[in-house]
Amino acid sequence: MQDHKDILARHVAARLGRRTILKGMGAGMIAATTGGAFPAMAQAAQSGHIKIGEIKPIDTLDPHFTFRLGAVQIISNICNGLLKVVYDGTTVTFEPDLAATWDLEDEKTHAFTLHPGVMFHDGTPCDAEAIKFNLMRVKSGTPASPHAWKLEKLEEVEIIDPLTFKLHFSEPYAFLPVALTGSIGRAGTIVSPAAVEKYGEDFGRNPVGTGPFKFVSWKENDSIELVANTEYFEAGLPKLEKVSFMIIDEPSTALAALISGQIDGMNDCPMQLIEQVKKMPNLNVYGGVEGNYTYVGMNTQKPPFDDVNLRRAVAFAIDRDAVLKQAYFGLAKQAYTPISPPMSGFYDPDIAQSGRGQFYDLEKAKEFRAKAANQDEIEVTYIMTENPPAGTRVAQIVAPMLAEIGIKVKLELLENAAWTQRLQDRDFEMLDFFWTADLDPDETLYPEFKTDGSWNYWGWSNADFDRLCAEAQVILDVAARSKLYNEAEDLMVDEAPVAMLAHFPLYKIFSNKVQGFNYVPCDLLNLNTVSLA
Amino acid sequence: MLARAAGRILQTLAVLLIVSIASFSLLKLAPGDPVVLMLGTEFSQDSYDDLQAQLGLDQPVVIQYVRWLGDFATGNWGNSYVAKTDIFDFVVKEALPVTLTLTACAIILAIVIGVPLGVMSAVRKDTFWDAGIAALALTGTAFPSFFLGIVLIWFFAVKVGFFPVMGFVPPWEDFWQGMLHLVLPSFTLATFFIGMIVRVTRAAMVEVLDQPYITAAIARGEPRRRVIWVHAFRNILMPLVTVIGLQLGAILQGAVLTETVFSLPGLGQMLTGAVLGREYVLVQAGVMLTATLFILVNLAVDLSYPFLDPRLRAR
Repeated sequence: MQDHKDILARHVAARLGRRTILKGMGAGMIAATTGGAFPAMAQAAQSGHIKIGEIKPIDTLDPHFTFRLGAVQIISNICNGLLKVVYDGTTVTFEPDLAATWDLEDEKTHAFTLHPGVMFHDGTPCDAEAIKFNLMRVKSGTPASPHAWKLEKLEEVEIIDPLTFKLHFSEPYAFLPVALTGSIGRAGTIVSPAAVEKYGEDFGRNPVGTGPFKFVSWKENDSIELVANTEYFEAGLPKLEKVSFMIIDEPSTALAALISGQIDGMNDCPMQLIEQVKKMPNLNVYGGVEGNYTYVGMNTQKPPFDDVNLRRAVAFAIDRDAVLKQAYFGLAKQAYTPISPPMSGFYDPDIAQSGRGQFYDLEKAKEFRAKAANQDEIEVTYIMTENPPAGTRVAQIVAPMLAEIGIKVKLELLENAAWTQRLQDRDFEMLDFFWTADLDPDETLYPEFKTDGSWNYWGWSNADFDRLCAEAQVILDVAARSKLYNEAEDLMVDEAPVAMLAHFPLYKIFSNKVQGFNYVPCDLLNLNTVSLA
Repeated sequence: MLARAAGRILQTLAVLLIVSIASFSLLKLAPGDPVVLMLGTEFSQDSYDDLQAQLGLDQPVVIQYVRWLGDFATGNWGNSYVAKTDIFDFVVKEALPVTLTLTACAIILAIVIGVPLGVMSAVRKDTFWDAGIAALALTGTAFPSFFLGIVLIWFFAVKVGFFPVMGFVPPWEDFWQGMLHLVLPSFTLATFFIGMIVRVTRAAMVEVLDQPYITAAIARGEPRRRVIWVHAFRNILMPLVTVIGLQLGAILQGAVLTETVFSLPGLGQMLTGAVLGREYVLVQAGVMLTATLFILVNLAVDLSYPFLDPRLRAR
């Protein structure tokens, strides 16, 4: 029989850290003793109107349907999740948000208690029924949510009382903490059921959550306005009275507006502007390498890259130093495997010296090239488009490197939609791309590389890789999972459907009037703690 | 004259029909399944089927075209897939007024600056002034508007701080604020146009100033100002109006870049967003509307000729 207490202790300790557990218990005790009084304590005087240059595109403010991280940045200020992502400067953890307590009864049953008295912005209560409505909306709602797969293993939401509920899963689900966050995971973002019913398909233009700010208006191509939620359940927050996201397509215009004081911050700043910004005394830069990776992908289903030795040759022929300097302005970090540094517990800190992963070694590349079936000069088509973060720079830098091993690259520049279609149709030989990951290796590795995975554009297949990832999905212990993922990624990088390049940084800029911003390395722009001097 | 006007209107309708077929077909011929392009990399078969049916893309192409044209003509442009807003309201009530305001300001600015410079250049033909104005006109025509916009922003908005960097305030709501927001984008958009107007005005004016009736007017002792601005200027109106009408296409094209640089919520920015966001329906509506605008302005230019040149009224 399993020792559930032990599993819980190890799982929660790995996820939350000791201090957070104590804090969570404390919050639970306060919640239990104060009952409905908790939100009343939270009320604070708000002041200041912050204007943020919104550079990233926004599709919808409905968290269960958005594809865009620009939208997630705004939604996170309107809605809470059951859990939230917290960063202490070195480690990322997933902590309770709307949930006051989170308990693991057994490996397949998660018990939650909600903060009492929390209301949605429309005045309806955020209770267990609302949570059930939200989770079922993602899992099996109509139209289908693109995040439904994150709750595939959810069998039942059992409501115990208005503040307590249990989630029953068909098997242990290691990705759950990420899925239940109100930000990157999106499946655990909680919105008002009454508002969903009221607005129907238009909910994405009229979002209602429990978050620190209430949605006011969305003027197309102009701005999105939020005001403080004065009944917010976290004590003393938010500090600002009003938030405007000014929609700006051109980053240099946003930077000019920031310097001239017309806006107070930018939600994204291209790498090419960062050195210039760092020299400006009135601006502060927040950011670093996040959960992502860039790569050169190869179509393993047709010649010439159906030859594993040719792919290996490509993986070792790319001089990453040159790519980092020229394509990423020296700001990115070399990627040896897909798992990036902020994925605490899974990232191998010794990877640069360990010999694991892919790196530049021209001799090795030539050895593999010599083993390739086709020893003639090989001509390949490399499709490129203006994808972030490096546009077409990577393709142009990599092409002459591949000439060193007898691969003549023909660059084909495509409009973004045409490029996407070619990718989806697997109508390419070579391309470069990036993946923004949800800070968990399950989502970082499995759908991208498993046999017939929805994002496995390379057509690569390895039964052992599939097995290792599937096993890791149902193990909650971080160390044991990490071992399986390391084995899986070793198989993947060895057979090289892609040649890993970089983990890249994302930047937010604020004027020095802006204080109290907590940077989290998953492209969030949480303004709940922010104030204006 | 009426028969000519009726013929010209019929011709315009035929052109509009061809344009509608072209803009409908262009998007059909564009690479990629529009439904897949709109849904991105993550979607289910259900959402694919829903969107395909919603867009009517499961129907035969001819039916799609007829339905689309009918809907366009009656203002039933459907809903934006992403924004869930009514496309007609969004395009015609929100985006179009911004672009028309910007375009009108740019044209007025271009006329106010370009015409006097062109006239001055012609009157002082082959002097230092003529050469200087020609050089200025060439520079204005050659300067890419996106670059000029950024330079203007950095100098006038950031360094000097005279004007706002971005955004749009409707002048009908707050006239002065609206004008302040429009100065830099209008000037950016007008620059190319100013050069064009200077050159056309100069060429036409030089030709007119050589005409015997101008010599006669001068011989009659009429004041120089009257000779230039009344006798000569009236006769360059036709080429001037023609070039302004023909350049509307270029101005709308320039508005796309200018609106992006100055973050103005007009047609240009809407179209860019729609193309990048793969909003098939919105792109079609935007393309059709801008093409229609262009064609109608050209019709108006043609119909204005008899009013500008009385000799044409007799034909």
